[in-house]
Amino acid sequence: MTKILLLSRNPRTSTWVEALQGAGFSVETKEDPKKMASEVLERLPDLLILEKSLAPELIADLIFALKENLNLAFLPILLILRETSDFEDELPIDDFFFESANGDEVAARVKLAFARTCRIADNNPLTGLPGNTSILKAIQQKIDSEEEVAFCYVDLDNFKPFNDRYGFARGDEILRLVARLLSNSVQFHAGHRGFVGHVGGDDFVFICPLESVEQICQEIIDSFDRLVPHFLDEEDLERGYFIAKDRRGQIQRFPFPSISIAVVPNYPGKFKHYGEVASVAAQVKKLVKQQPGSAYFIDRRRGPYQVSG
Amino acid sequence: MDETKRKVKKRLRNLQSLPTLPPVVTKLTKLLGDDNTTALQLAKVIEKDQVLTGKVLKMVNSAFYGFPRRISTVSNAIVLLGFNVIRTLVITASIFEMMQSEDLSLWEHSLGVAAAAGLLATKLEIPNPEEVTTAGLLHDLGKVVIRAEFPEYQRQIASLIKEEELYTREAESRVLGLDHGEIGRLLTNQWNLPERLIEPIAYHHEVEKARRFKKETAVVHFADIIIRAWGYGSGGDPWVPPLTDKAWKLLRLKEKDLEELMPQLDDRLLDLRFFTMEMQGGGLDQNPPSQS
Repeated sequence: MTKILLLSRNPRTSTWVEALQGAGFSVETKEDPKKMASEVLERLPDLLILEKSLAPELIADLIFALKENLNLAFLPILLILRETSDFEDELPIDDFFFESANGDEVAARVKLAFARTCRIADNNPLTGLPGNTSILKAIQQKIDSEEEVAFCYVDLDNFKPFNDRYGFARGDEILRLVARLLSNSVQFHAGHRGFVGHVGGDDFVFICPLESVEQICQEIIDSFDRLVPHFLDEEDLERGYFIAKDRRGQIQRFPFPSISIAVVPNYPGKFKHYGEVASVAAQVKKLVKQQPGSAYFIDRRRGPYQVSG
Repeated sequence: MDETKRKVKKRLRNLQSLPTLPPVVTKLTKLLGDDNTTALQLAKVIEKDQVLTGKVLKMVNSAFYGFPRRISTVSNAIVLLGFNVIRTLVITASIFEMMQSEDLSLWEHSLGVAAAAGLLATKLEIPNPEEVTTAGLLHDLGKVVIRAEFPEYQRQIASLIKEEELYTREAESRVLGLDHGEIGRLLTNQWNLPERLIEPIAYHHEVEKARRFKKETAVVHFADIIIRAWGYGSGGDPWVPPLTDKAWKLLRLKEKDLEELMPQLDDRLLDLRFFTMEMQGGGLDQNPPSQS
């Protein structure tokens, strides 16, 4: 359960605690700043709410220690302030509310603080797309709700030699390109029912309604193939291939980067756990990779997931 | 005059947005109101307007999106920017407060040059003829800037053309210290557009200055001349610009090529005429088309 540590002597404390508990959080209240500080360092909570006026210096030290020295920047900290003039912008906090706040406001701010840190910590810095934690969560949520969606695992072919030949800056451009193509296509065809995440490197995942998956995959492939020449040099374009080292360090000719999409449909009862989806995706990916150039492949098996041989 | 030139350059650096023709925006707004509109349909309209095309390309080549100087066509830009960004861009587009007949005829001229440049590029087997079409569309962007940002100078330029029978670019150089090619170069460079677009825009009157995209520049140069001679739209003066010897040699067009090209161009221009007429009619009609 998500644990909130609340340092406050405010008379409204009990209504705040009630609202937070109502929202599903477990709350521990402290009135003594020092006890609170030692509690924090011994048993780290998931979120901190501190009444700053109780011990301004100690609280500032604690905040800096947590956010800067201990690399606990993801731990959300909220301050309780008496008035706006108590706000200091050099303190690396996540949010604040006033002593007069009611329970609902406090609960809403806490939820927002969690959502925000989850977004920031998890997002891929290169593409801004949600990362692994959000991807796994999104997959599990679709499994649990038994929605007929497609889990699509995307990666690039010949991306490593491309990086070797053109350098990482150009490689990053290609990754941003893929991120834009996926986001736009999924957003356009699926709207809020879609999801796009960036696992890392050239691995991406998107989720969309099953009925539009073929259209989306084809669109992504067409756009990628049309755009990728703009990221290649003239001489390579004329030759029709590029030269780089392979995994064993041998100089070799490589076709231009292409995009592969392994599609795993979710039918009610087919999966229980996101790990099962990933292992089916790995099988499908092998099949996609056998085809030259950009391609997608849909796993048509409907039955429940079985552990293979 | 150096003072004027400095002033013009400074204004260019701080240029916020150029106005678009109202009928184009009306047409796009209609398309955006229809849930079935595809990105391709939007691209077809946007790529007929030099200002919106310029804006879309400026945005996609900006540092924020992370691929400067790569994207040179509207259809590719739309795929990368996404529907919602394009929607915002259209909604926030500023329009000419008062559309004058000269603005319309410059628009028609630009469309004509785009069509001719595209046909020529295909004929000459230049890779990605769509890019040369875009360069053709944008070649007179400098003139739009002068009209929209410096109306007082535009009046001086217009009267110089009339009184002394000058070419537009000569009159521009006299009044401003630089011509529409140079203004186009400064602007598109500032927008991080790909070099393959900048050179034809900058040097469509001075083909010998092109370094990397000589052929593309020569195509736009020649397309400009054909359309002026054809009398399709207007570039601001009644004269056909001189054909550069160097461009002609670069193109290596034969009489037979031209014989084949001209009827094709005739068809394309007729299509465009229908389009521009529809757009102008569409500007008055506020009711969305009924779908059945």
